[in-house]
Amino acid sequence: MSELDDLKKKINISKNKIKTKFLPSSNNNPIGSAFRISTELVASLFVALFIGWYVDKWLNTKPIFIIIFFFFGVAAGILNVVRSTKMINKD
Amino acid sequence: MAENPMEQFEVFKIGPSLLLNGTNVSLTNSSLFMIISVFLIILFFALGTRKLNIIPGKIQVLNELVFDFISKMINDTAGLDAKPYFSFILTLFLFILSLNMVGLFPYSFTVTSQIIVTFALATIIFIGVTIVGFIKNGVGFLKIFVPSGIPVFLLPLIIVIEIISYLSRPISLSVRLFANMLAGHTMLKVFGGFVVALGIYVGWLPLSFSIALIALEILVAFLQAYVFAVLSCIYLNDALHMHH
Repeated sequence: MSELDDLKKKINISKNKIKTKFLPSSNNNPIGSAFRISTELVASLFVALFIGWYVDKWLNTKPIFIIIFFFFGVAAGILNVVRSTKMINKD
Repeated sequence: MAENPMEQFEVFKIGPSLLLNGTNVSLTNSSLFMIISVFLIILFFALGTRKLNIIPGKIQVLNELVFDFISKMINDTAGLDAKPYFSFILTLFLFILSLNMVGLFPYSFTVTSQIIVTFALATIIFIGVTIVGFIKNGVGFLKIFVPSGIPVFLLPLIIVIEIISYLSRPISLSVRLFANMLAGHTMLKVFGGFVVALGIYVGWLPLSFSIALIALEILVAFLQAYVFAVLSCIYLNDALHMHH
């Protein structure tokens, strides 16, 4: 019985070794994460400005909504960056 | 002598014009290189699985490597529930990877440097993930816009921000791939132009830089395909598990 337990222990140890060795490898590649974050900030701003511009065109209130949504866009962009950096740090 | 570095991104028609219900569906260089890339992927797997052995041959090892790589990536980012989407993610990864890699050959065309192509791919993922989220969680999927532990008076603000952040996903996904490919290929062309312009005596300087740049571009081509697949998995994970 003790031999079996020993074997089990050995298997577990090598399994853990495999896990720590092979899992995150390319996930925390610094270049990959840099590419990932850089666009997040701009993309939300772009979407928000588009929404603001469209609402303005619809309601004929030229600069008001585009200004409001600009701030929303910045906030959403920062939120995105914080989220993706959190994810990268977790790996 | 100095060629326009943006000329390489021009889409033009190959062969006769085809019209289908008034829509132009003639073959372009863009679609030609998509077909070539798909053909290369099919060839890769056809050669690898031609005669399967327990002790695999060279191409079979490569096939299994790709399978393992993507399967592990899906497990890490989206968990076991995402297994049914394995074939989709694998196809997506291989398609983008081969488009990027084929684009690196001289005189070829980089399909992923067209924003409409990357945006179409990202939109397919965005709509697909949203549908999956609604199927798995029902109306409860809308809770993705309402993070827990937020005071009530802040909610309207946060919901707008969350919706914008959700809508920005396809934009950031497509712009990332497009911008990287466009910038890289433009740089290569510009430095190639320098080599010709500076001649034999000084030309080796930009030439050596181009060689380094090509190595970087190969890395970027792989990395962007990988990042695209990883982010699709992360979005899928959000739709499947919803732990905000």
